Amino acid sequence: MISEPIPELDSLDPAESRRGRLSRPDLRPALGWVLPPLIALLLLAVAVEVWVRLGDVSIWLMPRPTAVIENFFVDFGRYFNEGLKTLAVSMGGLAIGTAAATLLAAGVAHSNILERAVLPIAIMVKVTPVVALIPLFIIWLGHGWNPKIAIAALITYFPVLINAIAGFRDIDPRMHDFFRSVDASTWEIFQHLRLPAAIPYLFASLKISVTLSLIGAVVAEFFLSGQGGLGAVIWIEQNNLRLEQVFAAVLMLTVLGVTLSTAVVVAERLFSWRLDQPVTAS
Amino acid sequence: MSTQHSAATSRAHLVIKHPIEPDAEPAVRLNEVRLTYETKEGKLLDAVAPTTLTIRAGEMTALVGPSGCGKTSLLRMIAGLTAPSGGEVTVFGDPPSQAQRHKRLGLVFQEPALLAWRSVADNIRLGLQLNPRQTHSPTNIDELIESVGLRGFERYRPTELSGGMQQRVALARALAIDPPLLLLDEPFAALDEITREQMRYEVQRLWGISHDPVEPPRSALFVTHSVPEAVAIADRVLVMSPRPGRIIADIPVSTPRPRRPEHEHSDRFINDTAIVRAALRSPTTPAVPLDAA
Repeated sequence: MISEPIPELDSLDPAESRRGRLSRPDLRPALGWVLPPLIALLLLAVAVEVWVRLGDVSIWLMPRPTAVIENFFVDFGRYFNEGLKTLAVSMGGLAIGTAAATLLAAGVAHSNILERAVLPIAIMVKVTPVVALIPLFIIWLGHGWNPKIAIAALITYFPVLINAIAGFRDIDPRMHDFFRSVDASTWEIFQHLRLPAAIPYLFASLKISVTLSLIGAVVAEFFLSGQGGLGAVIWIEQNNLRLEQVFAAVLMLTVLGVTLSTAVVVAERLFSWRLDQPVTAS
Repeated sequence: MSTQHSAATSRAHLVIKHPIEPDAEPAVRLNEVRLTYETKEGKLLDAVAPTTLTIRAGEMTALVGPSGCGKTSLLRMIAGLTAPSGGEVTVFGDPPSQAQRHKRLGLVFQEPALLAWRSVADNIRLGLQLNPRQTHSPTNIDELIESVGLRGFERYRPTELSGGMQQRVALARALAIDPPLLLLDEPFAALDEITREQMRYEVQRLWGISHDPVEPPRSALFVTHSVPEAVAIADRVLVMSPRPGRIIADIPVSTPRPRRPEHEHSDRFINDTAIVRAALRSPTTPAVPLDAA
């Protein structure tokens, strides 16, 4: 007969958990995570610097970290512009790979026959190192951006496919029963049940595939060094034995990777309804 | 207990009588309905023995029986979620698929089964939103939220609520589409004892809420394995045997309505529960359930 919820009876105090959900994160613990690796990195750089200087290591083998950083900032415009090209390739590939994988997963989630037909092929592609296909892609797609984007797309699609299938299927059967009991259409079930259920899985797979797309882009740029990109810079500069430039380009790739991974985490916090989704496949 | 009484009286206007209409089209009619499963080993298993049964319009029927006796299967066949292996199911004279199409079924399960990404209010609106051409008289959602005691919690996510409150959301979601037939599958089994006993009487209070008078009077099938719960809620208790389940007793409940918690100490209540318990233990049913599935 009690119609008003009573906090003492309802074990959980909703007001409390609501405050917890909406509060902005405190930045102090974040510093505790950021500072130790930064200090470790700094110590490592100092050690290398001392080793190169005191050990009289040849400049053809290992540049001084300070020289790398100096070159990075002096020539920042170059690394930034080449970085943008690499970013364009990896993001183009990620977009195409993710879209294709999500669409295919939506089909597979609805059809066992499609699953049996598609999954073995998808796994075959997965276990094949796709960078081995770059020479073929160059023959088929020419020397422009297309083969690079194709490789980045191919390398990203698998984790998205597997996670999206798992996500589209991770629905409460009772919930599905409720949808059926009001004669909801297949599209309504997809739109209001399967797709939202898959969002945390899609973010989990994006965390993997965003760095994979960078790998695909860089390796493709090794082969197609004529059109630039950080991979091309690394390839050309190592031929010239200019290791400072090679390391500066790698440093730019690290910056790109950290930025992209952080962007995915931020987007997940903004758009996902659940943040503890375990990764299904890598 | 005094707060419960005052809450009850202040809401007395919401208690709508649900006259059983013997001449109206029955809410549910089962004719020799049976269900046979094929197990993974390929063996055929009778889940529900041929069952014939009528639930009259406006009647609240409880179905009790041991675990795994086929109560849920019977409910799912009425809801059109499981196809019977034989026999005929009609809901308001039509096959269950028609009842689904016209949103005449209000389902509540043992688990709340809410959409975690939607707020309480949006979960309650779900049934109205789906299959929208069939949404007839729009239910006043605010009034419904008020009457299930979720005022102030509209924007919360289900995970922020206790189990009892989540089940209120599930109940409101079922009532939002104004279904003439409620199908409740052990809706309180996962709740703690105190909340369970409250919800028994909540369900009766919400029984006729925002029900369109043009529709047939609201009926319900309430599956439970709690005998006091069945006797407290229902007009009539059906007792099912262990698998293959069949109806072995059909017991009218004598406690008058509106029912109150203190009725559970009355002679009528105690007598009715004794009859139901005796039926559950009757010689036609084995003393030990055949399975624990």
